[in-house]
Amino acid sequence: MVEPAIALFGGAYEKASHVLEELLRETGARYVLLLDRKGFVLVHKEALWAPRPPALDSLATLIAGNAAATQALAKMLGEPRFNELLHQGATYGLYAEEVGDLALLVIIFDNTAPVGRVKLFGKRAVQSLEVITKEALVEPGTLGIDREYHAGASALLDELFGN
Amino acid sequence: MSTINFAAREINFKIVYYGPGMSGKTTNLKWVFQQVPQNRKGEMVSLATEDERTLFFDFLPVDLGEVKGFKTRFHLYTVPGQVFYNASRKLILRGVDGIVFVADSAPNRLRANAESMRNLRENLAEYGIKLEDIPLVLQANKRDAPDALPVEMIQAVIDPEMRLPIFEAIATNGIGVFETLKAVSRQVLARVASAG
Ligand SMILES: Nc1nc2c(ncn2[C@@H]2O[C@H](COP(=O)(O)OP(=O)(O)OP(=O)(O)O)[C@@H](O)[C@H]2O)c(=O)[nH]1
Ligand SMILES: [Mg+2]
Repeated sequence: MVEPAIALFGGAYEKASHVLEELLRETGARYVLLLDRKGFVLVHKEALWAPRPPALDSLATLIAGNAAATQALAKMLGEPRFNELLHQGATYGLYAEEVGDLALLVIIFDNTAPVGRVKLFGKRAVQSLEVITKEALVEPGTLGIDREYHAGASALLDELFGN
Repeated sequence: MSTINFAAREINFKIVYYGPGMSGKTTNLKWVFQQVPQNRKGEMVSLATEDERTLFFDFLPVDLGEVKGFKTRFHLYTVPGQVFYNASRKLILRGVDGIVFVADSAPNRLRANAESMRNLRENLAEYGIKLEDIPLVLQANKRDAPDALPVEMIQAVIDPEMRLPIFEAIATNGIGVFETLKAVSRQVLARVASAG
């Protein structure tokens, strides 16, 4: 509740989903994800042919950590920012790019997909996603959860962690 | 702040275990990982050095279950406690909803506890957060150490106003681990409930 957060729902969620689906098609990538900077998955899409992805929340956490470290490095070197992150192995590649201040776009692709294409369409998607996420910003404190939710969650805490 | 994903109907909270090097932060998370049933947890990710010191963070997602149609999930993180990893420590605090401060009960770690608390205050300040404004619980860990200091003495250096709840723990045996986690989780939930 200390910094603004992205709340994607309704139309904004649909729009973001659509952008990711297009991106998947255009790049021939396996998985595409939109994350917030804390490492939570906002939206993700998988190619129909792709096998089940690895644990997405671990993946998101590591990518957000990696991106945060990269930006910290840039700052130390006096750069306002490094634009993108690209990792390539023998079979897979991973591309991550900032979407405004609060989100990240991640594309995981097979090395059969040309990197140039991934980058080109990735950057294009970022432009659309930037607008969508900006509109979905909520200020701290405005996403109230009611008492009933609180009571329910409290009971579950007892159940899971013991009394 | 908590991330609410209405589309997936999920509410996520980020809880960070903070404290000096070797105080038992990773051990707390390992215990939670061992005890929580398979269907209520994700993979534990540990970015550590060869000698098992945390290098960047440990991460463990825990599913609380469904409340009013929203899947509620806690993301637990530990920071690297060693002084020289401050740059990474700071990064982990981004978007934090609640903090567990794990203090070491050994007499020769009293100063390290105090310094780590000061470091927490400074790092939070860089995100514009006051220590007083975030859910925070204390844990006096390693109560089994033969020369463990009295809890009051430890609290006196990390929380001189004696404002915060403190839990005694032996994380290696799981003693106090869930009590601590439950306390911080409750505070975090109470905050979102009152924010609306
Ligand atoms: N006797 C005793 N040892 C403990 C207890 N909790 C943790 N330890 C031991 O203390 C050592 C350090 O524990 P970690 O959990 O790795 O410490 P940490 O706080 O994560 O340390 P960093 O990652 O360097 O910040 C390990 O050898 C643990 O087994 C405890 O309650 N009692
Ligand atoms: Mg550790």
